[in-house]
Formats: sequence, C-alpha cells, structure tokens
Amino acid sequence: MHYIEIRDVDFEYEKGKSVFQNLSLNIDKNETIALMGPNGSGKTTLGKLMAGILKPTKGQVNVFSRDTRDIPLHEIGLRIGYLFQNPEKQFFANTVYDELGFVMKIKGYDEEYIKEKVEEKLEFFQLKGLVNHSPFLLSQGEKQRLAIAAVLMNEPEYLILDEPTTGLDKKRKDMLLNLLFMLKNQGIGMTIISHDRRFVERICSRFIYISRGEIQYDERA
Amino acid sequence: MTREHNLDPRTKLVIVLCLSTLGIAVNNLALLSAIALLSYVAASLFRANLKRTFRKIKSLIYMLLFIALVQSIFTRGEPLLSAGGFAILTVNGVERALQFILRMAIVIFSATIIGTSSSRSIIQGLVQWKLPYDIAFMAALGIRFLPMLREEIRDSLVAIQLRGIDIKNIPIKERISLYSYLFNPLLVGTLLKAERLSIAMEMRGFRAYDKRTSYLVLKFTKLDYLIMFFSIAITAVFLIISYM
Repeated sequence: MHYIEIRDVDFEYEKGKSVFQNLSLNIDKNETIALMGPNGSGKTTLGKLMAGILKPTKGQVNVFSRDTRDIPLHEIGLRIGYLFQNPEKQFFANTVYDELGFVMKIKGYDEEYIKEKVEEKLEFFQLKGLVNHSPFLLSQGEKQRLAIAAVLMNEPEYLILDEPTTGLDKKRKDMLLNLLFMLKNQGIGMTIISHDRRFVERICSRFIYISRGEIQYDERA
Repeated sequence: MTREHNLDPRTKLVIVLCLSTLGIAVNNLALLSAIALLSYVAASLFRANLKRTFRKIKSLIYMLLFIALVQSIFTRGEPLLSAGGFAILTVNGVERALQFILRMAIVIFSATIIGTSSSRSIIQGLVQWKLPYDIAFMAALGIRFLPMLREEIRDSLVAIQLRGIDIKNIPIKERISLYSYLFNPLLVGTLLKAERLSIAMEMRGFRAYDKRTSYLVLKFTKLDYLIMFFSIAITAVFLIISYM
C-alpha cells in the first residue's frame, strides 16, 4: 500500500476539457518528490487531487488507503499540509501570532499550550519580530514562511508545497531549503511543485515531469 | 442570437421595473399569479437560463419557503387548521404566504431577464440615462468582482478545512469566531485588490471625467419603443384593476 495512490484518474474542470486522462501514480510517505512541468501542464491540479481538494472525474485517488471522495477535507488537513501557490489564500487572522494560534484556539486547546507551540514556530521560522504584524502586509518571503509555519502547526506527516520559491531571492531560497531539509530529517515527506529545477534538485530524490496532463518521465535520483 | 437578446438593455430594465412595481403594488392573489406567470413567460422569451438560476439559489428558495411558512403560522385571522382551539393556519396567513412566494417569484424571474444582457451594456444603458459615471462605474466594478468574491469564499473554506477544522461539527461559539476569521481575508483581500486596481487604472490614465466618449453606444429601435410602451400600458392596466 502506498501513501497516495492515483489510479486511472480522469479529471476535467469543464465538461469536455480534460486535464488528465487515465493518470496513475504512486507516492510513498518518506519520499521527497519534485513535480515539474510547464505552465498549464496540470501540476497544481495534480497537487490538489493528491490533497483531496479536487475529486477525480473518473478513477480513484486514495490517501492513506482511503478514497478522497470519502474523507472529509479536515481529516486530510490534519495529516497532509498543503501550501497554496499564493500564500495569502491561507491567511485568516489579523496578526502573525493569531494566524499561528487561531486553529488551536477554535479547537479549544489551553492558552499556555498554544503560546508555547506558537513561540516554537515563531523562533524556528524567524518570525519573532513580526508577531503583531498583519500577515497580509508581510514581504513575499515572510508570507511563505508564515504559511508553512501555519501548515506545520498541525504537525502533518506529509507536505504538498505549490511553488514555494515564487518571489524569493537566492538567500531566502537557501533559507527555505535549510528548513525543508530539517523537516525531511524529521521524517516528513513532501511533494514540491516547482519550476525551479535547481532548487528541487538540491533536495528531492524523485522527479516527475508532466506535460499536457501526461507524465513524461518519473525518475529517482 | 435571438431577436430578444438584441433588445436594448434599457428596454429590459423598463420591463423589470414594471414587473417589480406590479409585484409590490398588487395584493390580489389572482392578479399576482397572473403577473408571476407573465414574468415567467417574459423570462422564457428572453431565453433566460431559469434552470441554472434555480440551481444557484436553491438554498435561498428553501429559506423563502420557510419564511412563508412562519408568516402563515403567525398571522391572525379566520382559522383554517386548528388544534385544541389554537389556530395553526389562518386564511389570512396562507394568503400572505402565497403573496410573499409570488412576489419573490416575480423578482427572481425579472432578475433573470437582466442577466441576458452583459454587465457592460447595462452600465452603458444607465450612463446614457444620465446616471453619474462614478456610480455606474462602481456598479460595473462590483458586478465584475462578484464571481471573484465567490471564488475567494470557496478557497477560504477549503483552506480553513485543510488547517484541520471540521466546519460542520464545531460548537456554536467557536463557529461564530470561525466566521469572523473567514470574513477577514475577504475584507482585506477586497481592500488590497481595490487599491491595486485603482493604482493600475490611474497609471493607464483613467479619470472619472463627466464628459466621456464610449466605443459602445446603445440605440433604441422601434421594437424597443413598442415593447416599452406595452410594458408601461400593461402595468397601468394591472394597477387600475388592482385598485378599482
């Protein structure tokens, strides 16, 4: 059994306009995968299918041996962290501190415990000086770091990162890479959807290239 | 393209104005039914996509039916259905509920008529009716941004669930605070988008001058005048019958 199984999947946003036809792919939990391809090739769609955000038109996507059609999204969210291409899409709170802590607050966790967890992430992601800033007004690099930190508050076992290097300079990319290595060493598997070949080559062990909705190659380093 | 689609959007606005005026002013059930039927026929003639509209507003229809039911229960009058001396339904109540449902049907059918013209041509119609350009432009932008707002609400709901929150099964207090969190990105996102849009527009030389030229200029045809005349005449007849 694989962690994520994509079996003979067809997907279309509009009737008659197919994105994928008969696509099959298996992903194991400990893998660090690069999902590459040109614009419009279906990378983000595939990532969203893997996270259960989109459901296949035909075929089956199984996540931890269950069909994504039968798993509520919040259950997937507890185990798979998904970073949107635009991190702003996943911000909800008025301050960086609240952004990291509000989910635990809604779930009724103890304030002291929330504070401890939030401060741990603030330290790790170098966001300590920004606790009272609005997430929407941070720089692109800060937004990316905050979005990843927020995703990690649930302690997921797998990450799907959609274009995590967009808008980052070399220094910020290196910082992100170090962070991803740390997560990898903690046993967190990940799929990185990216155009940035040089970035993914430094961390990934499997490279999947898709074009026009088809897998062109799937190689392990 | 049907002939109906080529009508000036201002003609459609007049039809809608007439139908909605009748919907509000008329109280007689038989007349209201006739107006609702007329609105349905008009919407069908304009080839409005009624099926899609009803699919979109399904939950609103349930809410309207619920309001109608509440209205029929809480209106006093001659009892129609009673239990142990307590009137559950009254003649007045049922009549009010039916009036409410018919009025809403008229509003929905006439709104679909407007939907058969593009927002651009409707705004142009309003501008040619001397509506201040600033207001017409604001309305145009509002219409343009609505689908984006809907998409953002959908994205926010997905994103918050991916953070591990079961939005259907949380206590009411937490649910209220969750809604405030869902509202936040919409508000901030809209403000930021408006700011970026205004900067982009000004960079392209846009100013809200009173005198403007437009590539799209609407012109009434004889058919437009004829339809407007009949719409107003029918409205007057209905109003006279209703208040006689």
